[in-house]
Amino acid sequence: MTSMSLLPFIPERASTLADQFEVLFWYITITTGVVGLGVYAALAYFCVVYRRGATTGSTPRILGSTRLELGWTIIPLFVFLSYFAGGLMVYNHAAHAPADSEEIFVIGKQWMWKAQYPDGQRVIIGGNPRNMTEEERKSIGKLVLKVNKPVKLTLISEDVIHDFGVPAFRSKIDVLPGRYTSVWYQPTKLGEYHIYCDQYCGTWHSLMVGKIAVVKEEEYSDILAGFTPMPGSHTPMDGSRAQQGQQLFLKLQCINCHSATPTAKAPVLEGLYGSRVPMAGGGAEIADDHYIAESIRRPRLKQVEGWEKIMPAYDESQVSAEEMNLLVAYIRSLKKGGTPKNNQQAVPPVGAPTGPSEGTKSPAPGGK
Amino acid sequence: MSIAVPHGTPALATTSPVPPEPAPAPVNYLNVSHTIWSWLFTVDHKRIGLLYLGSISVFFIIGGIFAALVRMNLMSPNGAILTEDAYNRAFTAHGVMMLFFFLIPAVPGVMGNFFIPLMIGAKDLAFPKLNLASWYVFMIGAAFSGWAVLVGGIDTGWTLYPPYSSRSSQSNILPGVMGVFISGFSSIMTGLNIMVTIHKMRAPGMTWGRLPLFVWSLYGTSLIQLLATPVVAVTLLLLMVEKAAGIGIFDPTIGGDPILFQHMFWFYSHPAVYIMILPGMGVVSEILTCFSRKNIFGYHAVAWSSMGIAVVGFLLWAHHMFVAGISFYAALLFSLLSMLVAVPSAIKVFNWTATLYRGSITFHAPMILALGFLVLFVVGGLTGLFLATLGTDIHLHDTYFVVAHFHFVMVGGMVIAYMAGLHFWWPKMTGRMYSDWWSRVAAIIMIVGFFLTFVPQFIMGYHGAPRRYPNYPQEFQIYNVLSTAGSSVLGLGYLLPGIYLPLSLFFGKKATANPWSATGLEWITPSPPTVHNFDATPVVVCGPYEYAIGVDQMGRGLPEPPGPGGSDGPTGPSGPMKKETEVVG
Repeated sequence: MTSMSLLPFIPERASTLADQFEVLFWYITITTGVVGLGVYAALAYFCVVYRRGATTGSTPRILGSTRLELGWTIIPLFVFLSYFAGGLMVYNHAAHAPADSEEIFVIGKQWMWKAQYPDGQRVIIGGNPRNMTEEERKSIGKLVLKVNKPVKLTLISEDVIHDFGVPAFRSKIDVLPGRYTSVWYQPTKLGEYHIYCDQYCGTWHSLMVGKIAVVKEEEYSDILAGFTPMPGSHTPMDGSRAQQGQQLFLKLQCINCHSATPTAKAPVLEGLYGSRVPMAGGGAEIADDHYIAESIRRPRLKQVEGWEKIMPAYDESQVSAEEMNLLVAYIRSLKKGGTPKNNQQAVPPVGAPTGPSEGTKSPAPGGK
Repeated sequence: MSIAVPHGTPALATTSPVPPEPAPAPVNYLNVSHTIWSWLFTVDHKRIGLLYLGSISVFFIIGGIFAALVRMNLMSPNGAILTEDAYNRAFTAHGVMMLFFFLIPAVPGVMGNFFIPLMIGAKDLAFPKLNLASWYVFMIGAAFSGWAVLVGGIDTGWTLYPPYSSRSSQSNILPGVMGVFISGFSSIMTGLNIMVTIHKMRAPGMTWGRLPLFVWSLYGTSLIQLLATPVVAVTLLLLMVEKAAGIGIFDPTIGGDPILFQHMFWFYSHPAVYIMILPGMGVVSEILTCFSRKNIFGYHAVAWSSMGIAVVGFLLWAHHMFVAGISFYAALLFSLLSMLVAVPSAIKVFNWTATLYRGSITFHAPMILALGFLVLFVVGGLTGLFLATLGTDIHLHDTYFVVAHFHFVMVGGMVIAYMAGLHFWWPKMTGRMYSDWWSRVAAIIMIVGFFLTFVPQFIMGYHGAPRRYPNYPQEFQIYNVLSTAGSSVLGLGYLLPGIYLPLSLFFGKKATANPWSATGLEWITPSPPTVHNFDATPVVVCGPYEYAIGVDQMGRGLPEPPGPGGSDGPTGPSGPMKKETEVVG
């Protein structure tokens, strides 16, 4: 029976991290193996040689040995510290994405994974078909990545804690509600690999699985262009995430206060991303993804120096996790002088695949 | 508190070769009264130990049945017998019953209660009524949790991570959590009682440096129970408040922080691992010395490593959270600290192994199990290093590698040690010997069955198989089938003592006071002990493991140890009455 065949000795390796993991894993396996087998050999030898039948029954009074105690305290300590050092190097590699990584947003929810590409394509990359609408079921695809190109995933959950695990990449990261986490890979091998949800998340936890496809760079954009739209959207290529975020920014009336004009009632968001924001009452916050998302969900939590607490909170029913990603992407991209005029029709950024779609968005300028 | 020199040469001048076998007491703690009330309202630590033994045996069987369901379901990649919801409830029930209602109370509740007073020469624990209360509190907690997992079930896993547990799960969380919360108080009471007893009630001459290592290990355990359990009580209370009242503590949609729960939960649950394993280590120290007729190698190292584990064990909880979204530097620190706790465990293993050197070893069931503990704990401990190491934990976290690792420690280590202790002290507790042949067979089956069950899980985990998956990719099926087949062998191993131990009560040979020729004070009273343990308060003159000289802790000669010949004669200590200490290394 083919299904009962054994797994390969070493699992498939498909990322730079996987290669590093294997070196470390086998270093620990061999060193601990030698020690473990040494202990077993000593046990077996003693049990045979010093069994009752082979002795007079009289035993020596041996209380211990300071030198041996010191030896088997200090030597293991240094061996363990070498594991720590090796683990730190691998973890350091895993934790810090190269600056040129392309960024994909991934959203976990009970029980599916959704991805948003930088140019705005969206795709369901796995999950339990039984929890999906007919449209969603038809659009299950794969997380397509370019071979030998670093890619960073920024992940968030819409409900409970999930975990985005890719064994072939030796990678894993918890996906939390209300907080961004990130992970990066550099795939090294063409092929298809498992995505598992590795943090227990309820009934269909074991079906919250998907596929990663690592493809050649030249095939990449063709595959992306073929992704079917998400439900509710009739155009798969609405423009980049940041551009979609700008449309939301207008639609949700954020522009009314964050207008970057002398009469604005809220702080300027241009160049905000990554800057230090002084807080009322002292202290400062770094404006990272989490800060931006938190400021939209719970604006009263932290008050920016010099501004009133007047912003309303936007919960999941007003701004979904997906829309939050778009807003974050937009605010990240906002440069000096980039805030749109309040009455400005949203225009796509240069190089966006298509113009703004009609039917769904573009609020009437100027509000109600 | 100071540690006196443990192994002064005993006062041999006052030694009589072998004391006469104490006549079996006509009235012992078992037959002193027979009514059900005399058991339910007993304040005798020995009877309370047996109450614990009875109740945790039931919970072990319940937890074992759920384990069997889980393993049977995993025979097929899409679930052989259970729906997804039923599977999720089954593994949660298995975890909750085994951890909170078997492993944590097992050795402290049964053997701690029964043997700490006997081993230190006391008449009872310091607070007999508190001791009885601890059993009642434990049973109330168990009733809540047992009801929750049996009727309706809980589907969160024993870790109860919010916001799944507090918001999403529709299962029986409140009573289940309430049960664990309540039983925590029982754990605190037991820890407090044992700690005070060890401090205040040692017999004359029983200095800290002469305490049996089992007592040291339970001292460390009690320290953790006393300091860590309140934290889980707070955590569970907050979880219940969030669930019942909707106050945002852990759920981010109402202003909480789910990572906070994980920190608080593991602040208890990691030290709780040592609540489970430390007593097992103490049991093994008693047995290895007795059946190899040797002093423990490095008494101070083994005693202090227990305390080291108890203290350092508090500082590494977040190694369960390396991929949970904690900061890079926090992960770094907790990995480093986790490496430190591996050292005392390594010290213990090396000292136990060295204890066998030049011994005179017999292989009765307790010894086979203690050696099995050593063999399995080496695997469990060493695989823990893969999970404490940052770079390897990323991949192995939440896979079957973790499942196999902690089963090697908890089951291969702790349950085997519990079985070893049960077989070692059974004659003392019941006054009866069990079948020597069947017990050896059962011990070997348990150890072999354990390997067969959990080694395939290491392989699956290395390949990334996630835990808590009733549906899994086809390529893992063969390993699951092998594991399930192994678990049936393991189950048989557990079934056998369930048969021959009760049978020994009726058909077993009557046990002598000291059937293993051991040195501890618990062996100087008749088997089973009298109601007040000792006719006269024992006076301790030497350290706990003077097997080489052949004297017990009162400096009296030991009876002939069991096993094949090769000893100096039918009576008298196995060695010369005075012996120079030999130096090795």
